[in-house]
Amino acid sequence: MTAEILGRGRARVEGPAKVTGAAKYAADLHPSGLAYGYLVLATVGRGTVTAVDAEAALASPGVLAVYSPFNPLKLYGGIVHSDQSFLGQNWLPLQDAEVRHHGQIVGLVVADTFEQARRGAALVRVVYDARPPVADFAAALPNAVSPGPINGEPDVLDLLAPGVPSIEAALAAAPVRAGGTYTQPPKNPVPLEPHATVAVWDQAGLTLHLGTQAAMPSALTVAAALGQDPARVRVLSEHVGGGFGGKLYTWAHPLLTAAAAQALGRPVKTVITHEQMFSVTGNRTPVHQTVELGASADGALQAVKHEAVSGLSTSGLIFEQAAHTTSRYLYKAPNIHVAQKVAMLDAPPSTWMRAPGEEPGSFALESAMDELAAKLNLDPVELRLRNYSTVVPGRGVPWSSKHLDECYRLGAARFGWNRRAQRPGSVREGDWLIGYGMASAAYPGNQFPYTMAKVRLRADGGAEVSSATADLGTGMRTVLSSVVAERLGLPGERVAAVLGDSVLPMNYGAFASAGTASTATAARAAASAAVAQLVQVAVQNAASPFHGLDPKDVVYAEGRLTGPGGLDAAFGELLTRIDVSGVEAQDGSAPPPDARNFAVHSFGAHFCEVRVHAWTSEVRLRRFTSVIDAGRIVNERTARSQIAGGLVFGIGQALFEGSVMEPASGRTANANLAEYLIPVNADVPVFDIQFLSHPDTNFNEFGARGIGELGTVGSAAAIANALFNATGRRVRDLPVTVDKLFG
Amino acid sequence: MRAFEYAAARTPADAFARTTPRTAYLAGGTTLVDLMKLGVVEPDAVIDINGLGLRGIRLDRDGLRVGALERMSDVAEHPVVAAEFPVVAQALQASASPQIRNMASIGGNLLQRTRCGYFRDVATACNKRQPGSGCPAQTGANRGHAVFGTSASCVATHASDLAVALVALDARVELAGPAGRREVPLADFYRLPGDSPQVENDLRPGELVTAVAVPRLAFARRSTYLKVRDRQSYEFALVSVAAALDVRNGTVRDVRLAVGGVGTRPWRLPLAEQALRGKRLTEATARQAVEAGTADARPLAFNAFKPALLRRTAVRTLLALGG
Repeated sequence: MTAEILGRGRARVEGPAKVTGAAKYAADLHPSGLAYGYLVLATVGRGTVTAVDAEAALASPGVLAVYSPFNPLKLYGGIVHSDQSFLGQNWLPLQDAEVRHHGQIVGLVVADTFEQARRGAALVRVVYDARPPVADFAAALPNAVSPGPINGEPDVLDLLAPGVPSIEAALAAAPVRAGGTYTQPPKNPVPLEPHATVAVWDQAGLTLHLGTQAAMPSALTVAAALGQDPARVRVLSEHVGGGFGGKLYTWAHPLLTAAAAQALGRPVKTVITHEQMFSVTGNRTPVHQTVELGASADGALQAVKHEAVSGLSTSGLIFEQAAHTTSRYLYKAPNIHVAQKVAMLDAPPSTWMRAPGEEPGSFALESAMDELAAKLNLDPVELRLRNYSTVVPGRGVPWSSKHLDECYRLGAARFGWNRRAQRPGSVREGDWLIGYGMASAAYPGNQFPYTMAKVRLRADGGAEVSSATADLGTGMRTVLSSVVAERLGLPGERVAAVLGDSVLPMNYGAFASAGTASTATAARAAASAAVAQLVQVAVQNAASPFHGLDPKDVVYAEGRLTGPGGLDAAFGELLTRIDVSGVEAQDGSAPPPDARNFAVHSFGAHFCEVRVHAWTSEVRLRRFTSVIDAGRIVNERTARSQIAGGLVFGIGQALFEGSVMEPASGRTANANLAEYLIPVNADVPVFDIQFLSHPDTNFNEFGARGIGELGTVGSAAAIANALFNATGRRVRDLPVTVDKLFG
Repeated sequence: MRAFEYAAARTPADAFARTTPRTAYLAGGTTLVDLMKLGVVEPDAVIDINGLGLRGIRLDRDGLRVGALERMSDVAEHPVVAAEFPVVAQALQASASPQIRNMASIGGNLLQRTRCGYFRDVATACNKRQPGSGCPAQTGANRGHAVFGTSASCVATHASDLAVALVALDARVELAGPAGRREVPLADFYRLPGDSPQVENDLRPGELVTAVAVPRLAFARRSTYLKVRDRQSYEFALVSVAAALDVRNGTVRDVRLAVGGVGTRPWRLPLAEQALRGKRLTEATARQAVEAGTADARPLAFNAFKPALLRRTAVRTLLALGG
C-alpha cells in the first residue's frame, strides 16, 4: 500500500468539492453586514488627478463612501521599499494624486450591493491634468537602461575563450551563423478566478479572505501597509482559481478594501473584474531579443550571443530576464554573451508570470537553434545533442541531475520524429501543410530558503499536515497528503492537508516551481518528527502500554507502534487509551548546504506536429509529446496536469496572447477576455506527456524538483519551429497569427 | 450598471405600449445585458419579450421561416435547416459559445452591436455610442475592423455570422411595431454608417423583429459557411464567407456569395457572383471573380491583411463547394 501512494495517479483530494461548487473561493463568501467595493480606474496614461467630483456617486442609491486621492484611506508608505514587502508595485493607492499608468486605481466606491458600487463608480467624475505617457515599447528601446546585476551576475556577461576579444570576433570566426530578432507583446496572467478580497475586522484584528499564492507574505504586507501588528492580520486563501504569478504579490485593492472595512465598521468585499485585471494586478513585460549563433560546419556551437530588452513599468517591479535564464547555460559553447536591458514604460505594474524570463528567452534561443539546424541541414535534435552541456559554462559545476539527452531521445522515439521532413513545406495532406518542430525546456529547481510544516497524529487514527502554502490548482494538497501518508504508512484519505492560511507553519507560498521541493520535503520531515514525538509520548505516559520502554525499542510502521513482548497498538488506539487528543511536531526544509556545488534545473523536450492550411494559413496543432526530467514525480496525475497547463500556456504564447497597448494613451485596447485571446479547448491538441524518473537526491532527500513552469518553457518555440517546417516561413514576432504566416 | 425598470410584455401590443426612446427590448440578453454592465446602453426600462411567442421553424413552399425568439442552438440543430440551408446552420454553429447559443435569439443575433473596442469602452470617444465624439478606431487598434462600407465616422465591423449567411440567401426580416407590420430585405435593413453610425438599421421606434424568412433556393443545399478566426472557437471572424453554388458539369449556373468580418454590414459580393455565372469553376475563374468583387476594399493600418485573406478564403470556399 505505502509504495503505491506516491507516483500513482491519485485523484486531486479537493476535486469533488471543486466540481460540485462546494469549494468556496474568496468571492463566494458573504459575511453578515457585507458591503461591496468597486474600483475607479484612471482613463489617462500619465498625469495628475486635479479634482474628483463624487457628488453624484454619493447621491446614488446604496453608496456608502467614495475614496479618492482627495478622500484617501490612510496607508503606510514605509512598506513600499521594505525587504519584507510583497507589494506588487512601488507606490500605494490614493496616497497622492499622481497617475502613473492608464487604468491605475484612482478611487474606491463602497456600497450596499455590488451593482450599486459599480454604478457609483461610473458616476465618479475624475478630472486629470494629463501628460503623454511613455507607452510605446518599440520607441522606448533606444532609451533602454541597465537593470543592474541579474542572479548575482553582470547584466552584460561575457564568457569568452582565452584570446577571444569579443563575442563579435567569435561570431565572425564561425563558418555558419543563424539567428534574428524575436519580439513578443506584453501579456497578462488573467486567471479565471478574478482577484477577490473580503475584509472582516473584529476584536482580534483583520481577517482577509484573499485569492493569493502567498498567504503569509500577504499578511505581513497588509499589516505593514495598514499600520497593524502582524499578529492582528490573518490571510485565508483556501482555494485559488489560478494565479500564474499574478496572485503572488499583494496588489493595491486588498489594502484599500481592508482600510475601507475598518473605516466603515463593516466587512467589505472587492472583486475586480477581468477587465480591471489588465491594469491593476500586473502583467508580463514585452520583450525584444536578438540571438546570433555561430557554429562550425559540423554543428558545434562556437558563439552564442543573446541580448534582451524587456519593458519595465515605472510602477515596478519585475522584468523578463530572457537571456540570462536561457542562453547563459543551456548549451556548451566556448563563447557566450548574454545581455539584458530594460525599457521603462508608463504601463501597469510588471510582475512575475509563469516562467518569467525563460518563456521569452526559450522562444528566442530555441527558434535560433532551429534556424541554425536548418542552415546546417542538420536534424534539430542532433544539433542539440552535439552541443549538450554537462557543466554550467563559466562556472564549471555539474548539474545535480540532468537527463535532457534522454528526454530528446525518448521524445523523438515516442513522437516518431524520424518521419520529419528536413525540407520545409514539403509535406502536404490535401490542402494542409504538415510540420514537425521541437525545442528544449529547462527551468531552475528552486527551493525556498526556509519552509516549515506541521504533522499532527490524531486520536481518531487520522493525521493532518499543514503549512502556509497555497493550492492554485497545482495539486499541492494532494501532494502533501500523499507524502505524509507514505511516510506514516496510512491510506491517503486518512491524511488531511491544510493550507491557505497565514497562521500555519512558515511558508513563502506557491510560486517559482518551488512548492513540492520545499513543502513536500518539509512535510516529510515533519511526519518523521511527529512519529518521534508519538514514541516519546508512548514511553512517557503512565497509562501507555509502552510506558518506561527505551524509545529505541519502540517501532513505528504502517500506523502502528510495536515493542518487545508483542506490544502492538495502532497510534489512534494508543492515543485514545491514554486520553491524548493528538501529538504533533513541526520540521522544516532548506536547500542543501552544498548547493553551490551543483546547478539545479528541471528539463524537458517538446515535440509537436502542426497543420497549416495552404489557402488561409490557419494553424491547427495536431499533437504534442513532452518528455520531462524533473526528478521524482510525487503524483503523476497532478504532475501531468501541471505540464499540460504549461503547454497550454505555451500555445497561448505562440499563437494567441498579447496585450495591445495604445502607444499614445497607454490604454490596453484589448483588456478583456473576448479580445485578449487565450487557447480554448478546440485549440489544444492531444498531449503525450512522459516523465523520466530519476530522483534528484543531490537536491533534496525526497528527490523532487519543480514542474509548475517547465511546460511553458520552449513550447512556443516548438510550435514556431513546426510552423517553419510546415511552411518554410519563419515568424519571429509573437503571437503567430494567420496574417503573419501567409503571403 | 444604471438602475432600470423591468417589465415582461404579454402581447406585442403590450410591448408597443410600453416602448419609449429610453426602453430596450430583452430577448436572450447576451448583448444587451453585457452592454448595460459596461454602461454603453443605459435604458430606463427593459421590456422582456420572451413571452411573445415568436417561435417556430417551418419550411413550406415559400421557404424557411424562423421566429425571432428561436434560440440560435435550436435553429442550428434543426434537421430541416441543416439539410436545406447548411450555410445557415454552419454560420450559427460557428458563432459564440454553446452557452451563448442556448440563450441568444435569432432576432437578437441580427441586432447585435459591433465588437469595436472603442464602442464598448465608455471612457473613449465613439460616434456610434456618442454621436460627434470621434472615432479612435480610424487610427487605433483596428485589426478586427471593416474594409468595406466604412466612413470617416465609423469603421466598426458587423459582428453577426448568421446575418452574412442570410444576406447571401436574400433573406427578409419581418417587423412589427406600433404602426403595423412590414417586411424588409435583410440586406437593405442594415444601414451603412455614413455620417450617422449610431443609426444601424431600418427599425422604426418601437419596432420588433418578429421573424426571418429565407426564400426557397434549391441549390442552397450546396452551401457552406467558412469562418477564419484567430482561435478555433468562441471568437469573431477575421473574415468569413457564406456561399451557395449551383454548378453543373463544371459550369456555374448560379452562385451566392456574402462575406463577414470585413464589412460595416453583412457584405454581399454581387460583382463576384456575376463574374462567376456561366463560367467553368476553376481556381483561376474563382480568383478573378473574387478579386473583381472585392476590389473596393479599403484596409486600415492594422488590417491590411484582410482583403488578401478574404480572397483566399472565398476561393477556398468556392472550390470546396464546387469540388
